[in-house]
Amino acid sequence: MNDRLRAVSGQIIAVAVALLMGAIIILMVGESPVRVFMTLLRGAFGDQAKIAGTLLQTTPILICGVAACVGLRGGMFNVGIEGQLFLGGFAAAWVGFAFPLPAGIHMLAALALAIVAGAAWVAIPAYFRARYNTNEVVSTILSNYVAVLLTSYFTIFLFKRPGGWSETPPILPTAYLPGIFDFSRLNGGLVIGLVLAIGAALVFRYTSWGYGVTMVGSAPKFAEYGGVNVKRQGFLVLLLSGAVGGLAGGVETLGVHHRFMEGFAPGFGFDGLIAALLANGSPVATIFTALFFGALRNGSLLLEVDTGASREIITVIQALIILSVSAQVLVRRRGDSQAGERRWKF
Amino acid sequence: MSNASGSSTPHNAGNNAAGANVAGPDVAGMAVALTGITKRFGAFIANDGIDLAVRRGEIHAIIGENGAGKTTLMNILFGLLQPDEGSIRLNDEETVVADPAVAIKAGLGMVHQHFKLVPSLSVADNVFLGMEIRRHGLIDHAAQIARTRELSERFGLRVDPTERVGLLSVGIEQRIEILKVLVRGARTIILDEPTAVLTPQESRELFQTLRSFVADGMTVIFISHHLEEVMEVSDTVTVLRNGRRVATRPTVELSKDELVRMMVGREVSFDRRPREPQHGDVILEVEQLWARDDRRLPALRDVNFTIRSGEVVGIAGVAGNGQTELAEVLSGLRPASHGVARLKGRNLATFSPAEIREAGLAHVPGDRMVRGVDRNASIAANMLMGRQHRAPWSRGGVLNWNAIGQNASKLIKDFDIRAQGSGDAVKRLSGGNIQKVVLAREFTNGADFLLIDQPTRGVDIGAQEAIHDEIMRQRAAGRAILLISVQLDELAALADRILVMFNGRIMGEVAGDDADEDRIGMMMAGVAVPEFAAEPA
Repeated sequence: MNDRLRAVSGQIIAVAVALLMGAIIILMVGESPVRVFMTLLRGAFGDQAKIAGTLLQTTPILICGVAACVGLRGGMFNVGIEGQLFLGGFAAAWVGFAFPLPAGIHMLAALALAIVAGAAWVAIPAYFRARYNTNEVVSTILSNYVAVLLTSYFTIFLFKRPGGWSETPPILPTAYLPGIFDFSRLNGGLVIGLVLAIGAALVFRYTSWGYGVTMVGSAPKFAEYGGVNVKRQGFLVLLLSGAVGGLAGGVETLGVHHRFMEGFAPGFGFDGLIAALLANGSPVATIFTALFFGALRNGSLLLEVDTGASREIITVIQALIILSVSAQVLVRRRGDSQAGERRWKF
Repeated sequence: MSNASGSSTPHNAGNNAAGANVAGPDVAGMAVALTGITKRFGAFIANDGIDLAVRRGEIHAIIGENGAGKTTLMNILFGLLQPDEGSIRLNDEETVVADPAVAIKAGLGMVHQHFKLVPSLSVADNVFLGMEIRRHGLIDHAAQIARTRELSERFGLRVDPTERVGLLSVGIEQRIEILKVLVRGARTIILDEPTAVLTPQESRELFQTLRSFVADGMTVIFISHHLEEVMEVSDTVTVLRNGRRVATRPTVELSKDELVRMMVGREVSFDRRPREPQHGDVILEVEQLWARDDRRLPALRDVNFTIRSGEVVGIAGVAGNGQTELAEVLSGLRPASHGVARLKGRNLATFSPAEIREAGLAHVPGDRMVRGVDRNASIAANMLMGRQHRAPWSRGGVLNWNAIGQNASKLIKDFDIRAQGSGDAVKRLSGGNIQKVVLAREFTNGADFLLIDQPTRGVDIGAQEAIHDEIMRQRAAGRAILLISVQLDELAALADRILVMFNGRIMGEVAGDDADEDRIGMMMAGVAVPEFAAEPA
């Protein structure tokens, strides 16, 4: 309990430090930090529609965040969620516009193919990781570029909708994710995200499989010694992580855009990864960090209207959060070992 | 009771008997004098007002259990830590040892437990690394070699200065570390557990070297928890317990029993354990077993032995002679390249680690911090490993944390693990209690074969005794036990038979009842001792 409290307060301090540094940068571009932050807050939570907008932005970040958490639990750093999201998004759109099916079943089929596409896409790095111990960070990052360009190719050359835009034909309404309010595009994807987050937490905590995976992630040699098949579990966990990443793309397509277009969901995969890291790999805590990043994104829409700051400032703040969270990990590690022991080893 | 021989006596003993041998405020003529050193880490007091005076030209042993504060004290002396209170005098001069550079300049040198050598460089190059002798701006290899040779001959540190370090044994690496300290001008040398990696013969040679230092007017501070060595080599002993100095006494006035009592604070026995002879069924058979190490070199060469139920078979040997690989092959973590190991008649070659456990293996691993536990997880989660798929801990793949927690609480009680509860993170426990967590988990698996690797490495003396008790209980319960240890006295206390490993081979076998340290030591160093080889138990 004490540990958890320390971890949470550490993350909060890290975010606070990042916001403080962000404030200094805002001062440097000649804006008032108070005004910028108030505008962000108003843009994110100012009225019903804005809150719904924030939740809409939160949804893909949350699902991608759960994808990252699944990987992190098993010691796998899936940096390819962005690519899995794109492929999943495209796969869902394809089922949506190309295969007329009864309502409900259509949507489920589209989501299912999105899941399969995400898993299949990460299967390549996962295989090389399990078989040849290839660093999954590098291979999943690289797979992002291929995925984004591949889906562009599909969209522009194979399935382009007649007209000027680089997008597929619209999906059939039978494949739409049901909406929640009529004044917003907010949809059932948020529910999927929440269920996934809580479900993942329960699986890791309360199943034998989840216990083994958690040990593979936190003490691989111990897990191996205890009879857990480390390679197989690592492979499975990456596959599962990719599947959730694909699902995020499917939800975005079926819930928001109702078609696949080039650059349809830029950066959600990476935001999800950051949200998961800020949450220390806990799926439930990711709900809150995803909400935080969703609010930043949605709030920033108002920034350029109401203040002199560019909305890129939120990218800067995100980068500062990454920096301060990683710095905090270093500081904490040093606190763990005795100072003497550390210097002992130079 | 302990204070009868405690902090007030050494004063008198010193004044009356040896005259100059004084610990305490009178610190003139001392190579090193620490006064009232206190060091806190948060609420934990690692050193509590410790006085230590080391006379010039003596070998001063510092002994104490893990966590007694030896290493902290030496780190403070060497400038790696700063004390919260107290003062340091080096060669009669009040010194603030802000960092190791200050200590080195004052003539202090430290030989650490873990060596820092460059394997691709020659011995001489390693010795002079960072302070090369130069001529016309280039490294003067000839001068470095000559200087290294001169020092090594003077102090009996036999090394060939031109040889590459990567090819040398641990014992020689240690000599190089000592040479490094010498060329940096050390007159007071601190050695942290120097014999842990040595054969008995190598230890004796090291002691010769230490005596030659003293004869040369130098001073040696020697950290150990090996009592025999302390008795053999030191002039003065300082005992630490729980961060306090219990006593400083001339070694001649002390007996081994007295030392143990001062270290632990009570009576402890490490004599050979009494036992009933048992001849059960053969549980483990190992035939012509070969295996490779991580560098693909042969690490096990034609190993053969059997273990019966109710029998403790010890494996002696200097660390790194194939013991790790043997344990890994038997537990399925490393493939054998040739030969078979059979557990209750079943060939283990095709089994995964999980299947071997299923077949009846319990394994107490040598590197328990890495293999034996997840330090960040709770005691309960650590005790679950290996049984997470079995009832009552799980049903249908769903864990029952209630049952897991209750079981853990019961084991904590049964094995006397000092923890607040089963939810405690393992990293909060002491080394001995962490080992008890591993033992509790493994010994309650119902396995017939116990593979126990270095059960008491880094464990307090008090906990060592408890662990030995537990191993003997398992023997009495009819388990077949393979006990791998680098500590001969441990094997002598527990094993029915001792096999000695050298360079991946079993050099010979000695009955536990007459475990002769010299014979075993010869075999540990690779000398075949025919009359003892393969003697039946």
